[in-house]
Amino acid sequence: MRRGLGTGDWGLGLLGFAALLVGSPANGQAGGAQPPAAAPAPNAQPPALDLTAVSLPIPAAGRLVAITNATIMTASNGTIEKGTIVIRDGKIAAVGADVQVPAGAKVIDGTGKYVTPGIIDAHSHSAAEAINEGTLSITSMVRIEDVLRQDGISLYRQLAGGTTTLNILHGSANTIGGQNAVVKLRYGLPVDSLMFEGAPPGIKFALGENVRQTNRNLQPGQQGRFPRTRMGVEDLLRDAFTRAQEYRRDWQQYDAKKKAAKSAADRAALIPPVRDLELDALVEVLEGKRLVHCHSYRADEILMMLRVAKDFGFRVATFQHVLEGYKVADELAKAGSGASTFADEWAYKMEAWDAIPYNAALMAQRGVVVTINSDSDERARRLYQEAAKAMHYGGASEQEALKMITLNAAKQLGIDKRVGSIEVGKDADLAIFTAHPFAPNARVDLTLIDGRVFFDRSTSPTLEQLIEQMKQRRPRVASEDE
Amino acid sequence: MNGNSEPGTGNRALMLVAVVAALFVASTAHAQAQTGTYVIRGGTVVPVVGARIPNGTVVISGGKIQAVGANVQAPQGATVIDATGLFVYPGMIDSGTELGLTEIGSVPGSTDTREIGDFNPQDVALTAVNAHSELIPVTRVNGVTTVITSANGALMSGAAALVDLWGWTPDEMAIKPRVAQVMSYPSSGGGGGRGGGFGQRPQGDASETASRQVRAMRDFFADARAYAEVKAKLGAGGSVPNAPRVNQAMESLVPAIRGEMPIIFDVNTIDQIRGVLALADSFKLKVILRGPRDAWRVADTLAARNIPVIVGPTTQAPGSDDPYDALYAQPGVLAKAGVKIAFQTSGASDARDLPYNAALATAYGLDMDEAIKALTINPAQIFGVADRYGSLEAGKVANVMVTTGNPLDVRSNVKFLFIRGEQVPLTDRHTKLYEQFKARPKP
Repeated sequence: MRRGLGTGDWGLGLLGFAALLVGSPANGQAGGAQPPAAAPAPNAQPPALDLTAVSLPIPAAGRLVAITNATIMTASNGTIEKGTIVIRDGKIAAVGADVQVPAGAKVIDGTGKYVTPGIIDAHSHSAAEAINEGTLSITSMVRIEDVLRQDGISLYRQLAGGTTTLNILHGSANTIGGQNAVVKLRYGLPVDSLMFEGAPPGIKFALGENVRQTNRNLQPGQQGRFPRTRMGVEDLLRDAFTRAQEYRRDWQQYDAKKKAAKSAADRAALIPPVRDLELDALVEVLEGKRLVHCHSYRADEILMMLRVAKDFGFRVATFQHVLEGYKVADELAKAGSGASTFADEWAYKMEAWDAIPYNAALMAQRGVVVTINSDSDERARRLYQEAAKAMHYGGASEQEALKMITLNAAKQLGIDKRVGSIEVGKDADLAIFTAHPFAPNARVDLTLIDGRVFFDRSTSPTLEQLIEQMKQRRPRVASEDE
Repeated sequence: MNGNSEPGTGNRALMLVAVVAALFVASTAHAQAQTGTYVIRGGTVVPVVGARIPNGTVVISGGKIQAVGANVQAPQGATVIDATGLFVYPGMIDSGTELGLTEIGSVPGSTDTREIGDFNPQDVALTAVNAHSELIPVTRVNGVTTVITSANGALMSGAAALVDLWGWTPDEMAIKPRVAQVMSYPSSGGGGGRGGGFGQRPQGDASETASRQVRAMRDFFADARAYAEVKAKLGAGGSVPNAPRVNQAMESLVPAIRGEMPIIFDVNTIDQIRGVLALADSFKLKVILRGPRDAWRVADTLAARNIPVIVGPTTQAPGSDDPYDALYAQPGVLAKAGVKIAFQTSGASDARDLPYNAALATAYGLDMDEAIKALTINPAQIFGVADRYGSLEAGKVANVMVTTGNPLDVRSNVKFLFIRGEQVPLTDRHTKLYEQFKARPKP
């Protein structure tokens, strides 16, 4: 059945309005993302929704939407049949089976549909102009935030898979990589609007084959880069954090002297330590102000990282990939580190040889907060199918599997007060599926961020629609009309 | 016990020897396999050809399906498989893999997927299939029992093999050792992935290279056609002045030139597809398109010309100018236009995801029953083995899976698996590591 413009069973005109009228403004929220200085007043009669517009004005808050009669998979409190979600000012105002639709609310009929929290991809490399600053083994001074861009069609396609939040990580070329950026997929808005306001900052670390560069062929005359072994990787980490500790001590001593100074002249005579952007970021790690997301494969290197972190007094927020995490699940759980893994990737390199698809379920059984990530613009379009693999392999429950792409990811990124489940007070980041998200024929028809529609299949160019257009454009032979 | 004899070649004495031998070979998974007579009953039987049978029965014996139906008598002494609440399907067929030819992607010593040179039609993939690859059990426990495996990426990569994922040796695995030639049609860019792999250079340079390659390919086919004509004359007792010497490459193309062996063309863009159609016209080739991104643009033509299309992997990004759902929706568009489709994963370690590739297509317009056919009977027909494979019908090879639900549903699991009538253990490298570490005591 074709879903032509204006004929969809979603009530197209209505949604077009919803997209523009409903929503939380990015202004008024803490953090780096700022709306354009002159955000125009909301237009009572907006033009047709055009998500491809490069710079859509951010609408004012205060609008009301209700999704009614849907199966609501909350990710935190089970599934609600025939439930209603009320969205006010871009936040979830009410959710339940007995929720009344407030007067004046725009209604999205969810009959036969499934609503999940917006999907959070805990490992992405989208929307960045550059991924790896790989010339050095330590590049903690570089920031993904500085190279963010609206990655065009790729971000849109991820929205079409219900994905709403990304953890955009630096690559794995070096042991201590760059600083991450957590973003919401506010496709079509100015690039500054992408940043997830108030998300804790993080940094990428990496272990194993990639940082050892053992899969890389050196050009003649090219020098290998330290480290070349897993022992070298540990050495590099310990050296870096030792320097960070000394750097912090220098600043602490300076600050103490400054405080103790008896006069302005004494204070002015003090010479501050040389500012070091590389070590600044590592000091933040030492102080628990910056989350470490550590690319890793083998059990031994995971244990090494845990030892180093313990010795220097910080927690590794997540191990990424962590394909042998199932071998040391108890150690991960004890350290309070999350694990963000592939559903079933394996055998693509030596350190992925012991990877098993039971990894996610087994780590979860042992008490680790587990997510399933994409690490790929393509896979990020179907993380719901990937999550179901935790049920297939290892028998995770439905809610546990759903959490692996929603609430658990929010916890790992420190944004679970805002997103990750369908609960009152959280951001209205939602995906609306045509069927149970783990069913084979499930498709996303609508994706909302902050209560605004950022993907609507009925107004999106689909293959079906394109073929229809091409047929109409085809020149007619006279005899065909006879 | 063991066995693994080709269907229909059963010989009691040999079987006995095999059974005795198997008793002494306890260290492989094969030794745990059980051949014999089985009756699977109580489940919903989905024969693929014909209607589903609620509370149906499937009888397996001598490596074959003996009976399928609602009122089937169980033979004496049969092992009963209780499929109450379960579903019975034929095993699935992956129409494009590198299984057995690669173990670890980044370890060159473990891969045999790409020979030096552009023209190697004489190479036979089956030669290098490692019957004991760890990837094989990993694939079959998800119900994929049969695959096409081949080298790829060259203009002519050689013969693909159609194999069951079961057997002590490549020869035992083989259904058709040389089922098709595998070729890549040159691309002038815009490719990416298999069949588009020549397109990474700048556009101008690439199209020049592509047209040179097309010419070289046509020359090669012209030579092969001449060679086949000479061969035919000589074979008919005629004499040919200055007859060429035996040439392995030419020899290997003779069946394709005669239209007896299909050619799988790995393609991507519409230009490549049109190129293949022109080549097929020029040399009267029987072609199969594999992995195209743009086949939907010529769906009616492909249907009219009876050219099958192997779709997938659907788990790829569409072209940057294509609709977001192009690769998900294409299989449905082709099937509705009347094109015979089958699915491929094109990989090895991810071949177990075959049904989930098809699932994505059902979410975007492919009928569920058509999707099941594209994993079973369609590839059997495309590769000329539909008399033995692809459905649950009496007389066919007993490749049978018993599942907890629709195999396209990730939440379903395979509960029992039969390949050539042998009950195959549902264990692999991954289940072993899982069991091992699930039992790890708390440190």
